[in-house]
Amino acid sequence: MLEDSGFVDIAIGPSVDTFGGAGGESKARLFEVFGYPFLARKPG
Amino acid sequence: MTTDVLVDPVKLREEVKSKYREVAVEPNGKFHFHTGRPLARRLGYDDAVVRQMPDTAVESFAGVANPFSLRHLERGERVVDIGSGGGFDCFIAASQVGADGHVIGVDMTPEMLTKSRASAARMGLGNVEFREGLIEDMPVEDRSVDVVISNGVINLCADKRQVFAEIMRILKPGAWLQFADIANGKPVPASAIKNVDLWTA
Repeated sequence: MLEDSGFVDIAIGPSVDTFGGAGGESKARLFEVFGYPFLARKPG
Repeated sequence: MTTDVLVDPVKLREEVKSKYREVAVEPNGKFHFHTGRPLARRLGYDDAVVRQMPDTAVESFAGVANPFSLRHLERGERVVDIGSGGGFDCFIAASQVGADGHVIGVDMTPEMLTKSRASAARMGLGNVEFREGLIEDMPVEDRSVDVVISNGVINLCADKRQVFAEIMRILKPGAWLQFADIANGKPVPASAIKNVDLWTA
């Protein structure tokens, strides 16, 4: 969707176990939900 | 472009606002996600920076990863945090851009805005301000921003294409979008996506 929106130089960092140990952990595991950092640029 | 919007945006927005009102007012309540200082440590924020912040600036933090992990902000940059909540990421950004930079937090929840403004005043930050607004229609000028940051917010918006279009509008040419959000490895059934109650459960 970032590309479709016109962003370039897109990078995605390593996943983080955002919900591990929290109440939402079981649902997160069910759908393999993790947190990620994203980086992108608007074309110059 | 709204062809892939599967939920009622207004209903979802009210559900999200209600949930984050709770996080603002009762930050030590029981939520399905981590909050506050333990979460900041879990996500790899610089403990030396976080330690200097008062509890009110950190306790309502409910991010999902670290938007500063792929790029450190530069001194003097003008930054907008979309869905700024209690202001935690704005305060991190303010420490990175310095007095010559400027940080604008945009949020739709009055209780979060009250809290973030009070924390900024308590910390004596003159380079941070908070504006009430929707991230699909931000109170920010065209092509006026060096960096847009966000943490765990875009996934809670029904019309993500509109959000990215709005981000594109406010960014200067060549400027950065650095955000954190969740992504799922297994597909979520359409029936679940259409159920607004599950978005914040």
